[in-house]
Amino acid sequence: MKYTLIILSLILIATSPLIAAKKNQLTLTGSTTVLPIAQAAAEAFMDKYDVNVSVRGGGSGVGVAALMNKTVDIANSSRPMKAKEITIAKSSGVNPTAYAIANDGITIVVNTKNTVKNLTIKDLKGIYTGKITNWNQIGGLNMPITVISRDVSSGTFEVFNEKVLSGSKVIDSAMMLASNNAVASTVGDTPGAIGYIGLGYVTEKTKIVNVENCIPSIQTIKSGEYKLSRKLYMYTNGPAKGNTAGYLNFIFSPEGQKIVEEQGFISVK
Amino acid sequence: MKLKSIAKWFLAIMLITPAVINALPVKVSGEMWNRWTNEQIKAADGKDKTSKNYMSLERGYFGLETNFTPNTKGRFTIDMFSSEGETDGAGLKLKYGYVDFANLVPVSDMNLTAGLQKVYFGTLYDWNYTIIGKAPADEYKVANSSDYGISLNGYLPNGFGEYALGAYNGEGYKKVGSALADNTNMAYLANMRITPIAGLTLGGSYMANSVKREKALADDAPVAAYEEQGLMDGVLRLNYSIVDFWGEYISKDMSFPNADDKDYTASGFMIMPIISLSSIIEKDIQVLFRYDNWDESDNPSDTAKYLLNATTVGVNYNFLHDDSNVPAMQLQLNYAMKKYDEDKSAASYADGAKDINQIMLQLKWRFAGTISN
Repeated sequence: MKYTLIILSLILIATSPLIAAKKNQLTLTGSTTVLPIAQAAAEAFMDKYDVNVSVRGGGSGVGVAALMNKTVDIANSSRPMKAKEITIAKSSGVNPTAYAIANDGITIVVNTKNTVKNLTIKDLKGIYTGKITNWNQIGGLNMPITVISRDVSSGTFEVFNEKVLSGSKVIDSAMMLASNNAVASTVGDTPGAIGYIGLGYVTEKTKIVNVENCIPSIQTIKSGEYKLSRKLYMYTNGPAKGNTAGYLNFIFSPEGQKIVEEQGFISVK
Repeated sequence: MKLKSIAKWFLAIMLITPAVINALPVKVSGEMWNRWTNEQIKAADGKDKTSKNYMSLERGYFGLETNFTPNTKGRFTIDMFSSEGETDGAGLKLKYGYVDFANLVPVSDMNLTAGLQKVYFGTLYDWNYTIIGKAPADEYKVANSSDYGISLNGYLPNGFGEYALGAYNGEGYKKVGSALADNTNMAYLANMRITPIAGLTLGGSYMANSVKREKALADDAPVAAYEEQGLMDGVLRLNYSIVDFWGEYISKDMSFPNADDKDYTASGFMIMPIISLSSIIEKDIQVLFRYDNWDESDNPSDTAKYLLNATTVGVNYNFLHDDSNVPAMQLQLNYAMKKYDEDKSAASYADGAKDINQIMLQLKWRFAGTISN
């Protein structure tokens, strides 16, 4: 009994000064691919409404984990949640609800000096697994290939792994970079480099390569003709309500979808 | 039986060596449990006396994990801990050493796991010690938390649940080599959890196990101590708002085919509500309660017959969270009372002789990082 009283007292002491009301705010965490859309939409949304929107990156896995831990309102993800993640979330009382807010194509980019214009999925798998090591093996210049990949915790990597690698291991010498920007920048600075990024991250320093003779475009990505097309998601705990619903409705509005396109991605409307 | 020991070290080397040679990224993780324990018992003179009062490192997990390919993962974990049984004051246990093959079987989200791995029984495999005490199946020695074996485990589509089928040694991770000489039978396990709606989880496990040999190796004579075990477990979890409620029922049927009047059934249950205050206050604090009932009163052995009621209350303070809100540190305070029913327990339990009041304060800290090429 004595110990019970001590414990109860400790609980009261620990908790009593900490009670505070939640602010009128919205938090988003996750995919670096979705990040520019989320940030631009947040700025426009805050201009219209009295809500403080906080957006952070970290990667799709971080966003999904934060949703499962009930610490964010929206998890940004460039891949669908896995069955394991959904099961753990549901067991923890979280009901992951997906909102596909944009279309994207994982875009294969090379240095602007590279003469290769098209690659097949088989070529890509060969390059990323180390079976093809020089551009002249696939009709290009005599130039060693520098393989650039996203790190394994990235949602973009997971979609690339599923659609291109089919579970095979990326060559050990590949540079595993933490963001789309880093990949685009490195490819732009390295003559023999190849990388993959979200469509919205393509810059003038890089050159897009067709995949299976298909260029990533509005039409080919929306129709699914482009083999590396995907959707970008925002996940909420159950159907969105309140400020979360307001923010998502804004993204799905013509103004929000215009922001999606301004960031280089493809609208879902 | 030496082969088994050699095999476990070989598995460990197999996991580490390729990572060094080919510079595969290796995830390094650790978890330490620094604990203060104070225990009160009723002494022979009827007075409450302090029987234990010490600080220790109860667990010191150190793990290595690497992905050979996106679908093939190896994990190796050892546990270094304070131990009075060792001359150096510390013990070492192998906890996990397995390889996960995803998509080897053409069923989505299914893994084939081989090696020293989790036992998918009851709450054993996802018990994360929110409360300091062990999972009921571990506490009452119904099943072991990890064991050498092979399993198929995976997840149902749309987050509808998970399942596992496994074959294990059945003796747990502490026993290898000569300790298994008297038991050549494997243990077989089936486990299913469903989450029909968010916040509701229902699960059930069955394990068929045995202890000792049915017949002596030398002369095929029936071994009286041979026992067959039918182990069942039901799990209920309700997680709504700030309350995470766990309920578990366990039944253990013991059958002795070569001996008379030894068969018995033991059973028990646990309820454990965990209240998270983080959405009310701006601190990650959990308040816990646990009640256990374990009924071994059907056991014909005079010394092992008992009915235990155990109550634990506690509070956790989680801090130093990462980007996913996983805390690097957890401060836990638990007060546990274990009382044996005098009418249904053996004479040695009378007058509260084995009742225990225990207070534990524990700081758990974790770290993880990846060594890349």
